[in-house]
Amino acid sequence: MSITIKNELAQFLIRLADSEIILGQRLAEMCSKGPFLEEDIALSNLALDLFGRGEELLKIIADLEDNAYTPDDYTFRRNEREYFSYKIVEQPNNDFAWVIARQYFHDVYVREIFRQLLNHSDQQIAGLSEKVLKEIDYSYLHARDWMVRLGIGTEESNSRLQKAVDSLWKYSEELFAFDQIDTNVLDDSDQIKTVWDNEIDQVFSEANLEKPEEFKRHILDFRQGFHSEYLGMILADMQYLPRAYPDAQW
Amino acid sequence: MEKGDRVWEVFIQKKSGLAFKHVGSIHAYDKKMAVQNARDLYTRRGEGREIWVVPAEAIVSTPLDQADAFYDPSEDKVYRHPTFYEIPKEVKNI
Repeated sequence: MSITIKNELAQFLIRLADSEIILGQRLAEMCSKGPFLEEDIALSNLALDLFGRGEELLKIIADLEDNAYTPDDYTFRRNEREYFSYKIVEQPNNDFAWVIARQYFHDVYVREIFRQLLNHSDQQIAGLSEKVLKEIDYSYLHARDWMVRLGIGTEESNSRLQKAVDSLWKYSEELFAFDQIDTNVLDDSDQIKTVWDNEIDQVFSEANLEKPEEFKRHILDFRQGFHSEYLGMILADMQYLPRAYPDAQW
Repeated sequence: MEKGDRVWEVFIQKKSGLAFKHVGSIHAYDKKMAVQNARDLYTRRGEGREIWVVPAEAIVSTPLDQADAFYDPSEDKVYRHPTFYEIPKEVKNI
């Protein structure tokens, strides 16, 4: 089965939906592997928020597509190239610093997107944005807090965080290569980069981190369904059961 | 306040005006982390609207080995209960 999305607004929303679901899956992998019990539960809470957010977005998408597919179809029956998640959220849980840096970058970026969607003419989208911004604000505070803690913690925690930031940084570039589909929906896509730059400068200075160098890398865009090597593995894990047992109930 | 991994006791207020209730404990390195961890562990299902966290070592409790001296003497002092008063019929909730 090949699932295509025709509606332009749905094409925009699925980028968000996919990114939330894939990040949720990554965080869910941390369940029982957190650095300590409290943080383990915090990460699992965030994972559940992300799945919930993804599902709500997929319901809106299904509506826009005249219910040709269900949210579960979109999640479990699309292949790698039919997914439109940011590459940054696919990156692995190499250590706790990676988990935090990835979350922080994600939160800064999608927070501004949802803020702009607050003004969207579709009431469902505006309403959902208002609801999820409360979750994202908390997730952001949690991630930002850990960025600074790890950054100024010990030599070891700083070097691990710097390494995670350096490795993830290349995947931030595509986030700002907005296309027509983005700019038709967003109030001010330039503002997203401005907010990002200010935020990163502030937190990197507080956390004693060095900002990696900016240069053009020519990585193929997630908007065309291009991914890093990790998405296929995530989908294999995530989709195995519903694909092997399509009638499974739980 | 000094830093380091320690235990904090968590109290949650369900609604404005109600007393804070002890719900359990958490580990954290400082006040900020303590409040966040308490929020993540104990308010997942809408349990409250405000949280207090208190370093466990700041809580002073009565000595267990002297429980007899502390509490037994109150057991046979019935006159400490206000049960010898005639309660007027009009008063319902007492």
